[in-house]
Amino acid sequence: MFRFFALFVCLGLVLLTGCSKSGPDTGAAPSGGTPAGKRLTIAFMPKSKGNGYFVSCKQGADQAAKDLGAELIFDGPVSPDPAKQNEIIENWITLGVDVIAVACENKDGISTALKRAKDKGIKIVTFDSDAEPAARDFFVNQATPEGIGNALMDEAARLCGGTGEFAIITASLTAQNMIEWQKFIEARRMAKHPGMKMVALRPCDDLKDKAQAEATTLLGAYPDLKLLMNICSPAVPGAAEAVKQAGKAGKVKVIGLGLPNENRRYLKDGTTDTVILWKTVDLGYLTVQAAAALAKGELKAGATSFKGGKLGEFRIVGDNILLGEPFKFTKENIDQFDF
Amino acid sequence: MLKRHFREFSVLGVLLSVLALLGVFAPDFFAPQPLLSRLTAAAPKLVVACGIAVVMISRQIDISVGSLFAVCSVVCGLVAAAKLPLPLAVASAVAVGAIGGALNGVLVAGLRLPSIVVTLATMVTLREGLRLARQGVFIDLPDGLQWIGLPMIGGQYLVCGIAITVLAAMAAVMRHLAIGRAVYAVGSDAEAARLAGIRPRLITFGVFVLMGALTGLAAVMNVVQSPQVDPNTGRMLELEAIAAAVVGGVAVSGGRGNLGGVLVGFLLLACITPALTYIGVKPYWDKAIQGAVILLAVVADGLRNRKNGR
Amino acid sequence: MLLRHETVLLAVLVAELIFFGVAGRNFGTADNIANIVRHSVEIGLLALVMMPVVLAGGIDLSVGSTLGLCAVLFGKLWRDGGLPWEAAAVATLGIGATAGGVNALLITALRLPPLIVTLGTYSLFRGLAEAITRGTDAFTRFPPSFLFLGTGRIAGIPAQAWIFAFVAAAMWLLVHRTTFGRSWRAIGFAPEGARYAGLPVGRRLAFAHVLAGIVAALAAITYTARFGTAKADAGTGYELAAITAVVLGGTSIFGGVGSVHGTLLGVAAIAVLGNGLSRVPATMSNAGELSGMLTGVLLVLALAGGAVPQWFADRRSRKGQTPVPP
Repeated sequence: MFRFFALFVCLGLVLLTGCSKSGPDTGAAPSGGTPAGKRLTIAFMPKSKGNGYFVSCKQGADQAAKDLGAELIFDGPVSPDPAKQNEIIENWITLGVDVIAVACENKDGISTALKRAKDKGIKIVTFDSDAEPAARDFFVNQATPEGIGNALMDEAARLCGGTGEFAIITASLTAQNMIEWQKFIEARRMAKHPGMKMVALRPCDDLKDKAQAEATTLLGAYPDLKLLMNICSPAVPGAAEAVKQAGKAGKVKVIGLGLPNENRRYLKDGTTDTVILWKTVDLGYLTVQAAAALAKGELKAGATSFKGGKLGEFRIVGDNILLGEPFKFTKENIDQFDF
Repeated sequence: MLKRHFREFSVLGVLLSVLALLGVFAPDFFAPQPLLSRLTAAAPKLVVACGIAVVMISRQIDISVGSLFAVCSVVCGLVAAAKLPLPLAVASAVAVGAIGGALNGVLVAGLRLPSIVVTLATMVTLREGLRLARQGVFIDLPDGLQWIGLPMIGGQYLVCGIAITVLAAMAAVMRHLAIGRAVYAVGSDAEAARLAGIRPRLITFGVFVLMGALTGLAAVMNVVQSPQVDPNTGRMLELEAIAAAVVGGVAVSGGRGNLGGVLVGFLLLACITPALTYIGVKPYWDKAIQGAVILLAVVADGLRNRKNGR
Repeated sequence: MLLRHETVLLAVLVAELIFFGVAGRNFGTADNIANIVRHSVEIGLLALVMMPVVLAGGIDLSVGSTLGLCAVLFGKLWRDGGLPWEAAAVATLGIGATAGGVNALLITALRLPPLIVTLGTYSLFRGLAEAITRGTDAFTRFPPSFLFLGTGRIAGIPAQAWIFAFVAAAMWLLVHRTTFGRSWRAIGFAPEGARYAGLPVGRRLAFAHVLAGIVAALAAITYTARFGTAKADAGTGYELAAITAVVLGGTSIFGGVGSVHGTLLGVAAIAVLGNGLSRVPATMSNAGELSGMLTGVLLVLALAGGAVPQWFADRRSRKGQTPVPP
């Protein structure tokens, strides 16, 4: 008897609550801009939590929210589950946020959830990596996949003098945006640098220690290797340490997408040649500024420039707010940066 | 000898054939320097696998070691980064590991909760707590910590030496000392062990504390290999260590297995991934081959079970 | 005498609902409840079939990987095989059954421990999914009639909730009202005893694993319909989430004790906790981390709730000097 009761209660509890209120959607987000006097709620999502790159974006985001007097929610997946970003977006829709800023892990997957949010009147800004254009209002563009791919491949070819073997270390084989970067890296190689040869691609699970082990193996397995290209941030210091320990500093070049602080010592001692990145703190700051302006109706489609708080004017091309070109950190300029 | 250690020898056979194939197709695999570096990088996992083997022999399991490993790494890094003396950094990592292990031990031996559930809970709690506290930001270490101030080769020999010493010492204890035999007794039949005058709950508690301390030691052995600590380190370490132990013939049902087998299982699994890189297999085959090796290693055992009609 | 585990868990769930209803922003709205249901269907389905496996004294670590493998094969059959999605879905259920069958064969015919076998297939199935897609291929642009399964509503309730309710009811009847359920319980309680009592132990265990494979395939379909994309990383980590829900729901990890409604309560308690924390202003920026930590704490408390009184009883009677196996 008790079992029936418990079963009934636990199924009924969930379903009945759903049924009884599923007439007019009372809990849906307010549509359109925010009434004056109400504090703006900005939801800000990294690809994953516990990642130094997004921690530095958050620094800027926090600063912007403070300047604007807005409420900032910072949440993202803690597990490697690709559907998790969608779940958080869907929860934010019913939470009633005014604007969502998101770095998309999976372009196709997340766009369905973002479109739903847009239908409810929530403004959408993407940063770091874009969604489908129809699913968002603006993209704070620090670099397109094509721009990243070209910059990495050109830099690799420059360091190797146009010929030689190289290998790529990625986070995981299934990470959507890294797959896209690889496509553009390969396209650029075919078009401009046919003398370069990619000999291996290895995943490091976004872990520095694993990247170090993979790089050590690659150095042994491919004695003619001239360059390691690292397209996830923990892999850059990992690969550099492996090259250094193998006594091949200078002989095998190291480049990648990474954070200045994690790579400072390797850039200084010459193991790592170039780290490509943008000013992540500024990216977070600009994204939140743009999100707020969008929600208040100050930023509209068709605008050609945008004033991003203390950072000044930014150019808008189409629906892309341009942060500026990716930046190359080298031995010479690394000391000007701390993030 | 062959009959009693059938499993260990069958895995050893697989390992030797893999190595022989590598010798033919990729002799570079055995070039001394990258080999020593690879062994050094894997050495901390061997220490953890030894601990897991003892836990499994006592008929328990611990899936929190990966998270505890990360916590210990961060503690070691923070103490070192605060410019405190090196021995203190090492000691604090081992101590934190032992405390973590003791927490599991109290819940398992004291409250008699199932270890797989307890360590599942500590696994997520430690991992998420660490993420909350550190946000994944790397810790920069002072210069003296890498290789404990030794030249690199010296440091590599030291790390590998510690791993081998731990393995040998534990093998000796488990085989020849009363306390080691007591672990087997508890794992085989705890009630019988109790009647024979062993205190099973104390043994179980001790096994978890040992596991934690070894995790702390392994974390230090890993931290000294590079000048930065990545707080996300150790993810999936528990599965790698458990796989090494079971492939090496340690029974999940307790009471069976030895550390020689663990070494063989560990070496087999540790050489597969690099071997695939050396012979140029595409990376998307990695996991399938890892899984197939685990299954093949145990299927031999299964076929024998079937023949003997256990 | 203590309260039943399920009653305590129900109280925890009600307490969560009340707390988040008061402290959380827009928690009790119809849309949010629909979200909670929608987001927990896959893990819920896996938990429902993990439960009989655990009840019979086993474990299945491969269900998340089976989900991933089924998702990419479903996509492959639909896009490259040219099958209509309905036919691809039916074929996928067959693939799930085969995956479960591999586990079943190794566990029952070769008498290997389930933990090791499914640890191997955990890696193998995920690896096959990666190998088939080379890690990079993703299946998208499914027809709207298929996506409806994951995003639409029938009678105001999320479409996949109907599937879940059907499976839940079927599992409840199977476990609590048929001889299958009784034999799983008996096998988990005393495998040798069950054998001597004439139960076909091997076949019953095999059935539980095949069932787990089929339902994992079903979860792959609802997952793909909800997310709109099938890739080799679908369902990563779901096995641990499902085991957590089953154990929190009062099923003994040693087998022999457990209930389907307990499992449902376990799934609900975890889902509500995660959703609720993302709605309380103080925790909404750390919801992911905190819900993981609190689930761990809840898990230990739920078990300790039964164990602490037992510990005092033991001290009095000086019995039970032996720790229980894993």
